[in-house]
Amino acid sequence: MDMECFVENIVTDKQVTSDIKELIPDAGLRRRMSRILKSAVMTAIECAGGTDGIDGIDAIITATGLGCLSDSERFLRNMIADSEQLLNPAPFIQSTFNTAGGQIAMLRHNHCYNVTYVNRDCGFEDALLDALMRMADSQSRRVLVGAFDEQTPSQYRIMERMGFWRHGTCREGSVFTTLTAMPTDSAIAELSCMDFLSGPITEENCMKSYSGGDDAVLLTNDMEDVGLFPVVPARLFAEGVRKIAEGAERVIIYDRHGGDRQTVMVLKCIGH
Amino acid sequence: MKIVVGGVGLVSALGSGVDANIAAMREGRSGIAPSPSILRTGNKIPVGEVALTNDELHRRLNIPIDCHLSRTALLGISAVREAMNDARIPQGLRVGIVSATSVGGMDLTENFFREFIADESRGRLRDVRMHDCGAGTDAIARYCGIEGYRTTISTACSSAANAIMTGARLIRHGVADCVVAGGTDALSAFTLNGFKSLMILDEKPCRPFDESRAGLNLGEGAGYVVLLRGEDAADPYCTLAGYANRNDAYHQTASSADGEGAYLAMSDALAVAGIEPSQVGYINVHGTGTPNNDASEGAAMQRLFGSHIPPFSSTKGFTGHTLAAAGGIEAVFSSLAVKYGLLYPNINFKKPIDGRGPVPVCEFAEGKDIKYVLSNSFGFGGNCSSLVFAK
Repeated sequence: MDMECFVENIVTDKQVTSDIKELIPDAGLRRRMSRILKSAVMTAIECAGGTDGIDGIDAIITATGLGCLSDSERFLRNMIADSEQLLNPAPFIQSTFNTAGGQIAMLRHNHCYNVTYVNRDCGFEDALLDALMRMADSQSRRVLVGAFDEQTPSQYRIMERMGFWRHGTCREGSVFTTLTAMPTDSAIAELSCMDFLSGPITEENCMKSYSGGDDAVLLTNDMEDVGLFPVVPARLFAEGVRKIAEGAERVIIYDRHGGDRQTVMVLKCIGH
Repeated sequence: MKIVVGGVGLVSALGSGVDANIAAMREGRSGIAPSPSILRTGNKIPVGEVALTNDELHRRLNIPIDCHLSRTALLGISAVREAMNDARIPQGLRVGIVSATSVGGMDLTENFFREFIADESRGRLRDVRMHDCGAGTDAIARYCGIEGYRTTISTACSSAANAIMTGARLIRHGVADCVVAGGTDALSAFTLNGFKSLMILDEKPCRPFDESRAGLNLGEGAGYVVLLRGEDAADPYCTLAGYANRNDAYHQTASSADGEGAYLAMSDALAVAGIEPSQVGYINVHGTGTPNNDASEGAAMQRLFGSHIPPFSSTKGFTGHTLAAAGGIEAVFSSLAVKYGLLYPNINFKKPIDGRGPVPVCEFAEGKDIKYVLSNSFGFGGNCSSLVFAK
């Protein structure tokens, strides 16, 4: 599709260096936030360049697989254990999938477009597509897009019983990126193409179709990965941006989503 | 590019199918029952429950019971099939789906968890297979033959309105030629107890916009519209002329007193449609019946329309609040309002808020000259979305 935008910043939860007390000064709010909410909101603020940076955002688009899972689980356990009596509403309130997006908006009373995709591991790319459409329509100029996923021991146990193998990929965490319609001084890469293919293609054909004569790097997702968590493709996107920052001319990201859908994204270096 | 509604489908506590729902509202017959009869819960509190068990839904939809689909998926399939049959989508179009849900497969997960928390080796795995929201959308696509772009949105009670908005934008940008968009949510003990713990459930039938309103009644169901480019639909219901999504950014579960998010969503949606507030012929309000929502939404309407608020009503007294499905079900009601000039009564209304609040439509009417209908959907997380349907 002929839509493009510029990656201004991208941050993963591991790269957050600020103190949570500085980013979220409200102690009560910090106490109410679950581990994954803290992770998602902190990563988002750091990516936006601090709390003030949220003011300059005109769309907040998040993606998650199972949302705030520990809160959902806590409410469910309490509900069963306490026979539906005198339940604490806090975990229910926090359990909705759009909690992180809402919290980010609330921090600075940002009234902009705010939406959450819950489409297994396709959600991050759906969020990017939404951002591209908003910018193509001149509805947004600077969009915050992020993915966050939480894992719990129960969920691990259930997936183990279902026969999913754990093979190295951590599927918990947060990744946020700020995208702009026009290149800014701090732009790192250009997202120049996003295609949904009608079926799988070979890596060789993917390179041929999307390299545009450049010295391109191809990144693909592990075919066997459990396709529930958008943070996995979000990390791949972050890796692509990092490769551009390190000097690559062009990065092609080919995500096969375990055979369910095929997405191709092309990142280019600025001014190329 | 003109985006039109070419087909509609829904299921709610009023019945299966569009005709059953409109007939019930014409007769003033609510779908709210004094307490759940299918849902596994100890709560005796009014709900709008679809009067079909999961097994019955499988049978009616001709899906083997062994497939063990979640109630959310089953309700969705019922409404999507109706909408697609109604639309008679031209051959060769790339058909996609944008579906909304807030509970996903929670109705089955609850069964699993009751056994799992006692012993982690217990609980039937087929009860958690459909837990995540995307699984329901996948099932709907599979059993309705939708092969194009597919995604799922969850922004609490505004979800389906956002799905419809996204569907229209996907067509405009050529990602799909036709998009089935809406939402589905089943009743679950999780949500019933969640809203109970927030103390916003009314123990009597809900009374949106009434002085005595004391909370909402939960409902379940699904509502979908088939969105097409104008030239691809032979006899569309209406045009989707405007849409907007804004955030109240005030509180995780409460709305601001001046209804800032609602005001921005409504005014932006009218601006996208290119119309003045005075041109709106009917508003299907969010109107949950909670003291907070109706006061906030009323304040926003007064800000936007001044003393000339158009005829409006909440249909949640009939269906209950169907959460992520509400925006879909109400988009179907709004589409029919445009096509047939319908006004739906806001049942159980007696006295305006503070004696001078806005007074909703209380009688069913048809054949009215309605050019534009505004549909509101607001949710937790401050999400406020409005859609404009036009002749």
